[in-house]
Amino acid sequence: MDRRTFVASLGVGATVGLAGCVIGDNGDESGEDINVGMVYSSGGLGDESFNDMAHNGVEQAEADFGISYQNAEPDSPADMNDYQREFAGSDEYDLVCCIGFDHVTDLVQNAQEFSDQQFVLVDAVAETEDGDLVENVDNYVFREHEGSFQVGHLAGLLTTMEFDHGGASTASEDPHIGFVGGEETAIIDRFEAGYIAGAEYADEDIEVSTAYAGSWDDPGTGQEIATTMYDNGADIVFHAAGATGGGVFEAAQSAERYAIGVDDDQSISAEGFSDVIVASMVKRVNTAVYESIESVVDDDFEGGSVEDLGLEEDGVEAVVGQDFEGELPEEITDALVESREGIIDGDIDVPEET
Amino acid sequence: MSSGEGGNGDDGETESGGSGGSSDADRGRGGDWRDRGRQTLDWLVNASAAQRMAISLAALVFAVIVGGILVFVSGFVATCRQPVLYIPLLGESCYNPAQVYWTMLEGAFGSTANLARTLQETTLLLFTGLSVAVAFRAGLFNVGTQGQMVLGALATGLALVPLGSVLPDSIIGMLVAIPLGLVVGAIVGGFWGFIPGAMKAYADANEVITTIMLNFVATGLAFYLVSEHLGDPGTGSVQTVPVPSVARLPPTIDGSRFSVIALVGALLVAVAIYLLYDRTVLGYELRTSGLQESAAEYSGVDAKRNVVTSMSLSGALGGIAGAVYVMMVHYRWQTGMPALGFDGIAVSVLAGNNPIGVVPAALLFGGLKSGSFAVDFALGVPGELVVVLRGLIILFVAMPEFFRMLGKYYDFGSDPEPVATDGGERR
Repeated sequence: MDRRTFVASLGVGATVGLAGCVIGDNGDESGEDINVGMVYSSGGLGDESFNDMAHNGVEQAEADFGISYQNAEPDSPADMNDYQREFAGSDEYDLVCCIGFDHVTDLVQNAQEFSDQQFVLVDAVAETEDGDLVENVDNYVFREHEGSFQVGHLAGLLTTMEFDHGGASTASEDPHIGFVGGEETAIIDRFEAGYIAGAEYADEDIEVSTAYAGSWDDPGTGQEIATTMYDNGADIVFHAAGATGGGVFEAAQSAERYAIGVDDDQSISAEGFSDVIVASMVKRVNTAVYESIESVVDDDFEGGSVEDLGLEEDGVEAVVGQDFEGELPEEITDALVESREGIIDGDIDVPEET
Repeated sequence: MSSGEGGNGDDGETESGGSGGSSDADRGRGGDWRDRGRQTLDWLVNASAAQRMAISLAALVFAVIVGGILVFVSGFVATCRQPVLYIPLLGESCYNPAQVYWTMLEGAFGSTANLARTLQETTLLLFTGLSVAVAFRAGLFNVGTQGQMVLGALATGLALVPLGSVLPDSIIGMLVAIPLGLVVGAIVGGFWGFIPGAMKAYADANEVITTIMLNFVATGLAFYLVSEHLGDPGTGSVQTVPVPSVARLPPTIDGSRFSVIALVGALLVAVAIYLLYDRTVLGYELRTSGLQESAAEYSGVDAKRNVVTSMSLSGALGGIAGAVYVMMVHYRWQTGMPALGFDGIAVSVLAGNNPIGVVPAALLFGGLKSGSFAVDFALGVPGELVVVLRGLIILFVAMPEFFRMLGKYYDFGSDPEPVATDGGERR
């Protein structure tokens, strides 16, 4: 895992270098004085999903506005407090981005102590004990259940039909799909609830297996769980498990079944598995990071607000994998468009809890 | 990696006569090479305290050099936004080893805030290191300190929450809350050590296996309890409600979560354990029971009970580490606790399982952890490379001591084999 991360970060570094040459010159340099501190969640960079998405957001901001930034990767939630304080206490950062819900308890305290520091929190809302929003924290949360409903709907439709494309296939008998979570937290419960509801929307009789790996960075366990699911007849497995999901893709390739990615369009970010990643539940963490930096560059940062992003705001979306674009049967794509509108209009009620 | 290199290399630097340094010529003469290995082990086992200290220092220097080369070479392979130096023909390097080490040193001791961070880590490692050392002294290998710490921390975190509304938020309240938190952590951690102890004593279950397994049980149990029943309903994280301020150890240095009270307490515990094992009858019995059960029984000691006692004591220290973590550092239990329990094993081995030796070993680990935090933060060096540096230093410093223990075990050196009747102790 560590080696993988290292190699991945080398890759990312190389891309940054190139991007710097190509885009940097054309960029708007208005943010040159802006310095951003990034504190990621404990899965770390190189997860090809959540944290890398946030990193993409800040890279894009660097290219567009000429800002500079500093990454910090906590090994465990216990380190988050140290990093937040280190950034906030140094007085050199205009904005500190805290990526992930594990930040919230420490951030509520630190944001009140460093009341001049601007913070962004992704995936949670910083509230004081009295229930007031902390004034200098801009919060971004996502309605993951809506996007998960969409991929659940897709998986449900696929497993009930004969489909053969890319590195895998499905059969129409015994409709069965799976879900692999990282840790069993409230947010991941939203993924699971939406996914199951979407599958049931497609067909009441679909069997959905669910399991949790207990970690965000344990691809070995992810692979074991997914292999068991595929062996038991699951056609498609959706993961919401950060770097653990890499194991799910491995399992999908060996079993020649499909998988659904999370956070990023993983058929691109984890390109080696694009032949089995039929779709991804994209959660635009990068947009959240980018927009918050943009607001600082434009000098209209608004603390104490909550941006609640769902399908309607394009905060979450079911994105078809790059190898499957235009290859899915029309009845499926039509059904997905329809259920998307249903959710946005409020005709379909997506549960937030299993 | 090259275990031989560590032992022999250091040896060559510190000893004038030169039994070390396996050069090519040595390798050519196979038997001779083996003899030299034996001589080296003999020498290591017989080394005086001053010589051992010199070996450790030489090893540290050696580790710094090897690590520096590694960082420097990696700098050419990596790509970065701002290269630090340019060498014609070779290209640009992203990392400057001298700068990395300087940042590390400064990050560990350079300011009061950094020093506080180092000592915070040191305090926790003292408790986990002592936990492992206590078991080792009794001939037991407790790999379960991590699990004992996790459950101790959880119990402390839960027990202290209701105190906020009962106790006055003053020194007096603190004098009640903090000892109470320590006791709760010690009892729960001690219980988690008692289980493998009893299994070892009465069912002959290997404590290495049972403690490893119980780590998983502890982590899973704590996660389940908190996520399903006892967690803070106000957050998406798997964590408990923060403990009230009356149960938080007062920070000694502003803005840092380090309390000198905890450090002094940890140092006192180290001395107490040293005295317990070297100066009391109970300590003597604990040592002999683990080393040679039959001999201990013969001399009228209840060896089985003592194995249970040792493991419970070890577990209690792990539990206290968890309690201190909650009351001084994190103010709540949260899933994904740092691996202090496992680091404690390395601390104890580095210290040769001597309770007093645990103090400098914990300080070294604490400084390295705090220093790598600074490197990760200030320079563009990837965290993984810093972990490699840290690992190299620990490996090099621990290797001579490891070989010494190995040599002792296989009866090298001039001293007689330790036996149960002298408590397995050598003077």
